[in-house]
Amino acid sequence: MSADPSEGKLVIDGVRHAFDSTPALGTTSLSVRDGEFVSIVGPSGCGKSTLFNIVSGLLVPTEGRVLIEGRDVTGSTGHVGYMLQKDLLVPWRTVEGNIVMGAALTKGVGDADRAEARELADRYGLGEFIDHFPHALSGGMRQRVALMRTLAFHRDVMLLDEPFGALDSQTRFSMQQWLLDVWADLGRTIVFVTHDVDEAIFLAGRVLVMSPRPGRIAATIPVAIARPRSLESLTTPEFVRAKREILGLLYAGGPGTARPREATAP
Amino acid sequence: MSRRTWLRATGRAAVPIGAVALVFVVWGVLVRVLDVPRYVVPSPAATLNTLREDWPRLWGLTLTTTKECVIGFVVGAAVGFFLAVAMAQIRTIQRIAYPILIASQAIPIVAIAAPLVLVLGFGLAPKIVIVALIVFFPVVVNTLDGLNSVDRDLLNLARVMDGRALRVFLNIRLPATFTPLFSALKIGATYTVTGAVLGEWTATAGRGLGNYLLEQNARLNTAAVYGAVLLLTAIGIAGFLLISALERLATPWRTRSTARRVVRLRRRDTEGER
Ligand SMILES: Nc1ncnc2c1ncn2[C@@H]1O[C@H](COP(=O)(O)OP(=O)(O)OP(=O)(O)O)[C@@H](O)[C@H]1O
Ligand SMILES: [Mg+2]
Repeated sequence: MSADPSEGKLVIDGVRHAFDSTPALGTTSLSVRDGEFVSIVGPSGCGKSTLFNIVSGLLVPTEGRVLIEGRDVTGSTGHVGYMLQKDLLVPWRTVEGNIVMGAALTKGVGDADRAEARELADRYGLGEFIDHFPHALSGGMRQRVALMRTLAFHRDVMLLDEPFGALDSQTRFSMQQWLLDVWADLGRTIVFVTHDVDEAIFLAGRVLVMSPRPGRIAATIPVAIARPRSLESLTTPEFVRAKREILGLLYAGGPGTARPREATAP
Repeated sequence: MSRRTWLRATGRAAVPIGAVALVFVVWGVLVRVLDVPRYVVPSPAATLNTLREDWPRLWGLTLTTTKECVIGFVVGAAVGFFLAVAMAQIRTIQRIAYPILIASQAIPIVAIAAPLVLVLGFGLAPKIVIVALIVFFPVVVNTLDGLNSVDRDLLNLARVMDGRALRVFLNIRLPATFTPLFSALKIGATYTVTGAVLGEWTATAGRGLGNYLLEQNARLNTAAVYGAVLLLTAIGIAGFLLISALERLATPWRTRSTARRVVRLRRRDTEGER
């Protein structure tokens, strides 16, 4: 299986990975259009984080290529925004300092970066907290700061690995709506990994279901629910249909092979 | 400062001052009740009295000992810190330095004090070396711990952002050393006095509180000995408090929920702009 490199903002072309001789990710091909929102679900350990590590350039795949806008970026960093399940905020930097982290680690923080951080924080409800240290924020706020840090890194493609996994369900839902707002505002291309099937469907235009380790993409479920989405979207027939289909795929191997809600660090 | 914060600050200071006062009271009561002879344990009053009488002389000695402590402390902390950074950055240095480091701590300080004096003379130098030797070990170990405590995923994130090595070091690894570094400095600050006194005892020609202590001990002037001990303790406590105050300034994220704007007007990371 191979994807056409000319189509799509992000193209994953026949990527496979093994740690030493242990296969972690089966041959995977995927093409994501500019401005698309794609969710990935799959059993724990099937290689979702491994896939993200490859796309972000942290890992060189055993086989295959990663292309962004047609350019081969396999094994090179700095091309995508990447947000891990842990918020990874730096405790000694304020909200503003954390948002401008990308600049601080590369060219140095300028007034423009700071102004942008303040604007992001204002626009997304953290304006008053701009000078707070992370320990003084709630879990949801911390995740929002982490996402703003990813936004302020200015990459069109963003990989989000279970960003809301550690939040309670109410906070989680408001964060999902918030993420959709941000996405609608800024038109980034988002690939979103989650163990929560509802979350995957609610956010995405299509959901990719991966098979158990070494995972590969077992199915693509399109989600034709109109945007903007709201609480009502969760009860539409389309939502229920997609959910039934995905759960069927996840549990196809019988109990024990798939644990859809278990959150594990990569 | 408002009246309330002032009251709170006094309230906070009152407890440790009260505790110290309590020690003196218990000491005084015990000496009186058990009827301990003055040359065995003097009363607090006798001790303070000797301190006052001998003050013109003691003041100079205190300055000398303090100087030994401060210089030794700074040297030991600086050497320890930079050695730890070098060890963390370069594997070979770590391999060479670690066994030497352990060996340097296994050597009994008392045992090398005498040969040190032969090499360095009777001046300030051997005392500084001894103090520095005591301070530097916890600093190396804790700084290394701090440098290695950084979350691997955070370093991965820095890589994803194409972070430059020096900036990643300054922004991520270095600040991670602050908390363990200050723990080491606080331990070191209280140990410096022991080092200085040890140095003075070996290099007998010096003029510090340690020398005074020996001299008065030989004369069975116990009140003066206790007075010197009080002064030495005061030096250690002052060092500890100073480091604690510095710690609060250097690691505001540990005690405050927000950063002060004023301090941040001219930050250094503005300069690296392209
Ligand atoms: N650094 C590594 N060395 C060796 N094996 C690894 C390493 N990282 C991951 N693996 C293995 O690769 C497989 C895929 O791991 P990965 O973290 O990609 O799974 P995941 O789909 O993200 O799981 P989860 O949903 O639990 O986060 C797992 O079996 C894991 O044990
Ligand atoms: Mg994972």
